[in-house]
Amino acid sequence: MIEQFESSLMQFFGAVAWSKWISTLFLLVLGIVLASFAARGISRFMEDRASRHHTVMVRRLVFYLVLAIFFFAALREAGFSLDVVLGAAGILTVAIGFASQTSASNMISGLFLLVEKPFEIGNFIEVEGTIGEVVSIDMLSVKLRTPDNLYVRIPNETLIKTRVVNRSRFPIRRMDLTVGIAYAEDVARVENLLLDLARQSSVSLEEPKAFVLVTGFGPSSIDMQFSFWLPSDRVLQGRSQMMVAVKKMLDEEGIEIPFPHTSIYAGSHSEPFRVELLRPETETNKGDPDAYQNG
Amino acid sequence: MTTSLETPQTMQDGQWGVHYALEPGQTQYHELCHTRVWATLLEQEWQIRYQRMPEDDDQERWLQRVTDTLPDAELGVQRFVRPDDGCQLHYLPAMSSLATVIRPYQPLTIPAASECTIYVGTLLWMRIQAGSKGTHLMELPLADPSLTWVGRTTMEGELCYSAATFARLVLDAVPKRPWRAITPVRIINERPEPLLLERFNLPTPLLSLHRNEKGHLWTPGVTVICETDMNSARLRVDHDLIAAAGRCELVAPAREQTARGGLVRAYDRIFG
Repeated sequence: MIEQFESSLMQFFGAVAWSKWISTLFLLVLGIVLASFAARGISRFMEDRASRHHTVMVRRLVFYLVLAIFFFAALREAGFSLDVVLGAAGILTVAIGFASQTSASNMISGLFLLVEKPFEIGNFIEVEGTIGEVVSIDMLSVKLRTPDNLYVRIPNETLIKTRVVNRSRFPIRRMDLTVGIAYAEDVARVENLLLDLARQSSVSLEEPKAFVLVTGFGPSSIDMQFSFWLPSDRVLQGRSQMMVAVKKMLDEEGIEIPFPHTSIYAGSHSEPFRVELLRPETETNKGDPDAYQNG
Repeated sequence: MTTSLETPQTMQDGQWGVHYALEPGQTQYHELCHTRVWATLLEQEWQIRYQRMPEDDDQERWLQRVTDTLPDAELGVQRFVRPDDGCQLHYLPAMSSLATVIRPYQPLTIPAASECTIYVGTLLWMRIQAGSKGTHLMELPLADPSLTWVGRTTMEGELCYSAATFARLVLDAVPKRPWRAITPVRIINERPEPLLLERFNLPTPLLSLHRNEKGHLWTPGVTVICETDMNSARLRVDHDLIAAAGRCELVAPAREQTARGGLVRAYDRIFG
């Protein structure tokens, strides 16, 4: 029994064309090594000449292209007919497509993203309330790094379907600050003071010019919109600096920033509110229970 | 706010490109433009501190003095490892790295088919170099420059520095300061209609800096030719300085080189 098994095993191993399989394996390994070298080389070449986005795209393209060439060469070496393989691949694609619709959808969405290019690697984007820097654009998803250093993966399909805001597409941005002042204040004076502030500030651009609008009569304040332009890479710092400067200026000029409050007005037809004046307690009597009894 | 205890009488004039020598523990203090600078040499490191002065304080001289006292500890400090054993320190001027939009306080009209030369003073940056090899430590603007946007829309254009000027037509009327470089700008209006000069874009990164015998800084002249449209003027940076600058030596080369053979080139949005 054992002898029979041994002889059949020997026959099987003897029948395998080892040299063919070794050269196939060698081609595959060579393909991976060469593809890595080629991708690294092209990446180094493009680093100083192109954007990060394009460098990553071309690097990936070169890697997969070289790998595909060696993969098909290896299949041929192994004795597979390329026509059959391609036919099988077509059937396989359909099967995979049905089996994993989400992945296929993400892959196709990824292609659209590459062609449409709504953002590049390094841009700050906002998707469904998540803001972050684009770290990579991959086959199935886009990875973001949020300002608080979280790694967020967003499927490509989501990016195609929803609203994406690219915050670093243009070099300058407008910042709108809402400033509320008391009803008693002179609006024109505050407007001039705010525009002076924009002129003096190093973060606010001279052109396009800053402007001030009165946006509404709020319950407690006159609401004003103070808009100024600043470089996109200094938005957070600029916004904070300007808000501090506005607060300081309003304090120095004695202009009141009201907080929400409610005034009770009885109207002309109603009786005035009864107001009772109390005599202030003397310090000696304060907290002394006997003082009340004696008084 | 840290105030200087020095008086102009006890201080000397500072100069660009001069090698100052400090002993470890000494500090060189400067007052120029709207900036105070402290450069301190310690056994193993250089320390640079700077602070802005009020803008209304109009100075004319660059004052400097070497002291043995350390600067105020409240000032922000930048530390640099000593590149070598050398105790030398010197300062070089540099033009801005971004183009500068020059805006005359009062717009100037250049009549049809005529030309004029205006003299523009631009803010300089200070390059601090230390050691016997003159290793670059840092660079700082001598006042806070304001930024502006030059472009057809808010999508296309470039960020530039902005500077107001009196656009003086007489050279003698231009105040000469050690921290300002004078650029003669010749504007030729070849159009059949007047040209209202409200602002124009001076390509400061293309200008080299030269010092004359009086210590004044000059850049080569710039010629702007406006033939048809205000937005498509041509600009040329001259090779030589104007004769009025006198004998000059090169202090700092231009940050960027002009296009090869392209002395005259179309420069988008020269007049904003």
